[in-house]
Parts: sequence; structure tokens; C-alpha cells
Amino acid sequence: MKITRLARRGRPCAHRPASAWRAKALLAAVAGITLASATAAVGAAAPAAASSSPGSTLTVEAGTAFSTFNPFTAYNSGDLEVINEIYPNLTTTSKQGAPEPYLATKWSLSPNKLTWTFAIKSGLKWSDGKPLTAADAAWTLNLIIHNAAAGAANGALVASLATVTAPNPTTLVITTKSPAANLLYNLAIIPIVPEHIWAAQVPHLGNFTNHSTPAVGYGPFILTGFVPNQSATLTANTSFFMGAPKFHTVIVQYYSNGDAAVAALRSGQLDDIDDTLTATQFNALKSAKGITVTPQVSAAWTAIELNPGARTRTGRHFGNGNPALQNIKVRQAIEMAINKQELVSKNWDGLAVSGQGYLPPAYPQWQWTPPSSEQLTYDPAKANQLLNAAGYKMGPNGIRIDPKTHKPLTLRLGIHSDESTDAAMAPYIVEWLKAIGIGVTVDSMSYNQLNADLPKGDWDMLSDTWSTGPDPTYLLSIQTCGVLPLNNGNGFNTDSFFCNPSYDKLYAQQATEFNTAQRAATIGKMQQVLYSNAVDVVLYYPDFLSAVRTSAVKNYFFGKPNAQGFYPQQNLFINWLDAAPVASGNTSSSSGTTLAIVIPIVIVVLLAGAAIVVWRRRTAGERE
Amino acid sequence: MSTSAPLSAKSLSALEVPPSGGASGARDFARYLGTKVTAALVSFVALLVVGFIIFSLMPSNPVESLTRGRPTSPKQIAFLTKELGLNQPIWERFGHYVANTLQGHLGYSFQFDTPVATLIAQRLWPTILLMGASTIVSVLLGMWLGIHSGWRPGSLLDRLSTGSAITLWSVPTFWLGIILLVLGSTGFGPVPPLFPAGGMATAGTAGGFGIAHILDVARHLVLPCLTLVLVVFAQYQMIMRSSMIDETGNSYLLTARAKGLRDAEVRQHHVVPNALLPSVTLIFLQVGTMISGAITVETVYSWPGLGYLTYQALQIPDLQLLDGTFIIFSASVIVFNVLADLLYRALDPRVRRA
Repeated sequence: MKITRLARRGRPCAHRPASAWRAKALLAAVAGITLASATAAVGAAAPAAASSSPGSTLTVEAGTAFSTFNPFTAYNSGDLEVINEIYPNLTTTSKQGAPEPYLATKWSLSPNKLTWTFAIKSGLKWSDGKPLTAADAAWTLNLIIHNAAAGAANGALVASLATVTAPNPTTLVITTKSPAANLLYNLAIIPIVPEHIWAAQVPHLGNFTNHSTPAVGYGPFILTGFVPNQSATLTANTSFFMGAPKFHTVIVQYYSNGDAAVAALRSGQLDDIDDTLTATQFNALKSAKGITVTPQVSAAWTAIELNPGARTRTGRHFGNGNPALQNIKVRQAIEMAINKQELVSKNWDGLAVSGQGYLPPAYPQWQWTPPSSEQLTYDPAKANQLLNAAGYKMGPNGIRIDPKTHKPLTLRLGIHSDESTDAAMAPYIVEWLKAIGIGVTVDSMSYNQLNADLPKGDWDMLSDTWSTGPDPTYLLSIQTCGVLPLNNGNGFNTDSFFCNPSYDKLYAQQATEFNTAQRAATIGKMQQVLYSNAVDVVLYYPDFLSAVRTSAVKNYFFGKPNAQGFYPQQNLFINWLDAAPVASGNTSSSSGTTLAIVIPIVIVVLLAGAAIVVWRRRTAGERE
Repeated sequence: MSTSAPLSAKSLSALEVPPSGGASGARDFARYLGTKVTAALVSFVALLVVGFIIFSLMPSNPVESLTRGRPTSPKQIAFLTKELGLNQPIWERFGHYVANTLQGHLGYSFQFDTPVATLIAQRLWPTILLMGASTIVSVLLGMWLGIHSGWRPGSLLDRLSTGSAITLWSVPTFWLGIILLVLGSTGFGPVPPLFPAGGMATAGTAGGFGIAHILDVARHLVLPCLTLVLVVFAQYQMIMRSSMIDETGNSYLLTARAKGLRDAEVRQHHVVPNALLPSVTLIFLQVGTMISGAITVETVYSWPGLGYLTYQALQIPDLQLLDGTFIIFSASVIVFNVLADLLYRALDPRVRRA
């Protein structure tokens, strides 16, 4: 099961003993409490005051723990968020989710659609003062193409590139092996690094974590501080050619649990949480003073995969998936038995959209919805009709009998034991399928177990979540025949063993269509094939739920909410660049209030502790 | 939990303890030490093998876990599989693991692109600080309450402390941590936010050994330390209380009182030393497990220690990191068990006699 957590915005892709002792112990305890309380009182107010003053600090939550700031090997979203701010790309992603100029100010494509010529912005300098030229871009891309270690993270994005040259400091020429319609999207993901710094790292690129600060780079920020496992500090590049960031400092702070991050946001220790709120946290924060919650259209879906029959590229079948699912009518009946809207209401408090097309709604250029005549909407009666027509007669205990095996039609549903939404969803699925005569046994498995079972084909239905960036190529690719496993088991990259020649033909076609509307039409046809085959039953697109302390930060989110109240898909590169401190601090008074309340408490505790000690010493004789 | 009978003055005097000095004593000690060390080594080897097997058999696909959500080509997957050594047969990986362990190498974490020893060194200090502070406070609090509640069973202090200790001992650590975190870091009622919601120091501040940094770390330490103390002190309180109650039935107390000693002196100088033995064992066992950290508490409070490192390793799973931390944790428990055995021998003549 190819599963990814919900992608964060800005991610490239988807995503002692005796009486004296007694008195001392008591006093020590009291003193300890006092010291801790006093430090707490003083310290608790400090971060809030700092981030509310103009030009100071924006503290944001990191998507994951930090691992490496080496752009050639980084996978974690926490690392990538930092890397995207300190190294440039040739293109970047606009607010509408389309590629737009960054280092490359303009570009042209040869008539045979194989040669791209990019004009690179002149006069730029790395943070150490050395010139940033097309040669740096050519060196970076060539390294990724030719060095396996350098391609560890981004190798797939340069697979279509044949040559990369820099004839002069402001021109970059890229030739591709075949027309590559998604090249500009891919170039928005690949960080360009300074050759004069990184050339020395090439022999041990796989072991280089790039944690030393300040890191030489170019972008809206410079990495100036890093505390392993805790935080990264970014300082604004005031000469950034797209405009200097409004905050002088951005601290990217990691919290290992979501409730801690929410508590930090409430108390002013954190200014923003991006995309990771649960529906419960989101609703609870709605009434929090000085905090604005923001739901965004989803770049992800949650689906139930139906095993259409595990097979290799040469057609050899394997695995113990229930053969009933090879029947398209059975799969369609399952889709029609599921009340997606109720899942949205019950599981997500309405903070999701019920699923239809394969690509999520975050990038409207690719969105497709099935024509009303083809929609497999919730209709248990029709689902029963489909199963009756397919020969699955109802058994005596309400479970249908497979006409070929003469066994009850019971399917296994694999869910993630580490995903609470899966556990909440499973009982509904069981009930709905039972209503059409299909028995379901729920197998709750860890992420690792579930993924280990997938290539074996030993499953019937699996819970699955995917997210995507603006370019859908990769998400589309995992449904092609070319990623089915080889006979020796290698080469496996399929999502659900789907293989359809028409789909593959359309996949190849869209890769060469440079006109967005034309490409979208082809991608629409691909989604239609997927939808009608009912292999990925997309349940819903969960909104990306964020919150920002608007009492301290303004202009963080861009765009306006749609009719359903959802904001456009956001982009951290733009968010951190545009965010500005609120002019008047409103938390300074709270520090005074804090001290005013805490100091008397500390004094009372101290006096009470001292009184107990004195009393116990005086009455020791009586008690003995 | 150890239930060995504590000693009384009377029972001590009744024991026929053989002379411990001289060549015979040294030989006995050497034999005792040899037995314990050999058993420890056997345990260590067994744990290494078991650990490796368990981690290797875990259903996992580390390459997929690392790259999830990223476009990856077959070439990338093949490269990463080779880099992580996952293309080697399991016996070959076991050979590397044994050879590395014998040479003192703990492997390489592909999740962090860093040697496992470096990661452990980075995370050791936060864990020792958290677990050390919480263990000291738990021992002091638990022992004090145990001594006083066991000395006067049924008293108000006994009922209150025993009741609250058992209740807190039963509370899931993760849940208690979340509750304290929310209350302490966001405030409640008229009480303002007092403590940070996580981490070990305020981001963006200078580290080092300055007083400001020390106070900052102390402030971050309060909630995780309090969570651990509230859950853990019960075991010291209950063991000490039980030992005290056992001791108060002995007639040597009557002798001590007949000599005119005050009650507090009888308790502190006669009863407590005899009642301490089980607690000593417990403390050493606790110290042995200390460096493995408290996975749940470190996770709740984003405390960058070894417990949380293990949790991170399990998520991928990062096999070499898991193996490396497992070696360190196992060695620590085994070494402190041997030390506890040696100390127990020194404290309890019956062990020397056995």
C-alpha cells in the first residue's frame, strides 16, 4: 500500500534521613516548586512578547522531526520546508498551483518539444557573496542525473532529462529524451545548490547532513541556527529579489504530538500550525481568542482499494485476494453501498468533501467529476441489483454466496491501527456492505504490516491515503501496467494492481501535452477509466486544517474561501514570505498579569511550606 | 518486584555469618562475581540475538517508509535498498551486526544519515537529565511517604498517600502527560500558562551553561518530570511501606524502646535501615532502565531523548538504529543488575552466606 501522510503545503510532492532531613526535604521541595514556578512565570510570557513585536519572530510548527538539510537526500517534510526556504529552484509554484519564474525568468521550447532554453536571472549572489549563475543549476541537475547518491531524493524528477548545459552565466539549456509536459513542475521541486560549496561533498553525499550554520544558499531565508531534534532558525534575506520577508526570523519548531502543538499555539509559544490539525482540534480552536482557523481544499484522498487480482507485468496471478473482486460489477456494487457523505459528516465533522474523481480538488485544473449518468452514488438497492445480476444469491444468514466457489461472500478490510480515522470508518463500511449481503472482517494492522502485505497480493480491501503536488504525474503513474511487479517480485510500484491498456495510452499521451487544457482533458479521461473500474473507491478528500495566531501575524494565508468556506491550497514559500507581524503587541500585558497572579501563589506556597515544617518540629515530641 | 525478607537486628544476630575476610572470603567473592558476570554475558548475547531476530522479522519496508509521498523511480528504490543493506540475506546482515558490535560500532542510521553512536550521544544527556531528576524526586518522595505511612498504618497520611499513589500508578502515563501539558502550558481558570508545551529549551535562544539557559531548561523539565514522578513514586512508596510494616512487628523495636530511645530514633536508626533492602534493589533496577528513557513522556513533551529516538526508529523502522539502541539499553540493564547483585551481597550477610 502506497500510503503517504497528508502532504503539507510547500512540500514538493504528495507530501536523605532524620528530622533535619525531613525539614530540608520539605524546604527543598517547596524551593523546587518555587523556582520552577518563578521560571515558568517569567519564561511563559517571553516567546509571546517576542513574536508580537514588528519585525521579529514567526514561530511555526515543523511538519516532521528534522533529519537532514541535504537537498539531495532529504525526504521528511520538516527538512523540505527548511530546504525550500534556503535554496532556490528554477521555477516556483504560483498561488494558483501553476509553475512560474524563480531563478529562471523566462523560457522557450524548441519546435520538436525536446529542447528548453531558460534565461537565468543575473546579478544574484549566494549568501557568501559568490555569484549564482546558470552553471550552478547545470551542475546540480547533472549531479542528480549521473550520481545515484545525489538522485536519492529527486532522481525520478530528472528521469526524462538527457542533457543540461550552461552556455553562459544567464542561460541554461535542457534537452529531454521525450517531450516532458511536466518539466516546469518538476523544476519547482529540485533545489539548486552552490557548486563551489557542494563539489567537495560529492564523495560522501549520502552521509552529509548539512547541519552546520550558517548554510550557504539563496532564498528568502538563511539557515542560521539548528538544534537537533528541536528547531531550525531562519534569518530573513533582506536582499531577496522577490522582496524581503516581513519577519526577521522564522523558527521552525518540532512538536512530537499534535496536542502539544495546539497547546503551544493557544499560549502564544507557536504562531502557526499548518495542515496537521484534526477536526476535533480545529473545532476547538474556532473559539480561541486571537486565533483564526483555516480549512483548505484538499490535496489528498482517502480511499478503499479493491484488489482486482494481483498479477505481474507478464500476467502471472498470485496472492489470495478474493476472486469475487475481479468482477467489476461486485466492485461497483461495493462503491454504491458506501455512504460517503455520511462518512464526511460523522468522521470529519463536515471538514471534507465526499470523493469522486481520482485527483483531489486542490488543483482545479486537473479536477474531474463523473457525468451524472455514470455516477456510482450511494444506492444500496441498485448495489443489490448488481450483485443479483452477477449471480451472487443471498444466503440464509444474509450473506451472499459466491456462484463459483459456493462459499459466503466475505471480504477482508485492512485498516491502519495507527490512524484513528480508519478505526472510525471501519464499522460503517462493515454495516453498509452487510446491508448488501457482503460480510467483512476487519484486520487492523500497523502501517508497516499493511504495506508489507500489499506486494504479496494477500488482501481484499485496504484503506489507503495519497496526496499530490500540483503535478499529478506520479499519482497517475501508480495505476499503470508498467509499475506492476516483475515475475521476480522486483519493480513493484503499483497502488492496487490496476492495469488497463486504455489508461496507459492516455497516460503516455498526457505526458506530451503542453497545453494545460488539452492535458487536463486527457487526464479527465484517465480518471473516468479509473472511476468506472472502481478499484480505488475514493471515500473523501479531507480538508487541510490549519490555524494561525492572527493577534500576532497577518497576511499569512492567501486567497479567499470558496462557497463551502474552504481556502485555496496554500504554499509555505509564499506564506512565510508574505506573513507580517501585527503592529501592536497585545501580549505584553499578559506577561504582567501572569506575574501578578503567579508571584502571590509562589509566596503562599512558600509560607505554607515553612509553617508545616515549623509545626511538625514543634509537635514532634507529642507525636512520639 | 523483590520480596526478599528484610533484616532485623535480632535476625542479624541470629545468623551464623561465616568470616568474610581472608583468602576464603576473597575466593567466595571471586566465585560470586564470576557467576554473575558470566550470567550477564550470556544474557547479553541472548538479548543481542533475540533483538536482531525480532527487528529483522518485523514487517517493514524501510525504503517505502522513507520515500512515501515522493515520486520514486525503480533506480532510486534499488539504490536505497542497496545503501540500507536490505538487499543482503539476513544471515549476512547478522554477521555484519555481530562484527560491528564486537568492534564497538553501533551501525548507521539511514533515517538520520548519522552514525547510531552519534545519535545516542546526542540524546543521552536529555534522557539522563529527565530520568535522573524524576528518579531522584520519585525515590525521595516515595521513600518518605513509605516510611511514614508504614510507621503508622491506617493514619490519615497513610490513607491519603497510599490511595493517591495507587490511583496515579494506575493512570496511563500518556494520558496524564497530556492532561498536565494542557493545564500547565495553556493555563486553566485564573491560572495562566506556566510552562512550555514541549522541547528542552526555547527555540532561538543561546545554549551553553549560562544561568538563563539553565533556568530555561529547568522550566521545560518541570512538566515531563512531574508526570514521571506522579506515576512512578508509588512503587517506592508501596515497597517501603510494606517493608516498614514487616519490621514494626519485630521484637527488637521493644528492646530499642526499652533503652529509652525516642520513637523517631527507633524508626530512623533501627527500622528504616532494615527496611531499605528491597528499595535498594528497586532503585538499581530503575537506574538500569533509566537510559532507555520514557518513550511516552518524551513523545508527549517532544523531549529529545533516547526513548523518543527509539520511537522514531520504530516508525520507519530504522533497523540499525533499533539494533544500536537495543544493545545500549540491554547492556545498561544488565550492568546495573550485576551492580545491584554486588551491592545486595554487601548489604545482606545472608547473600554472602548462601
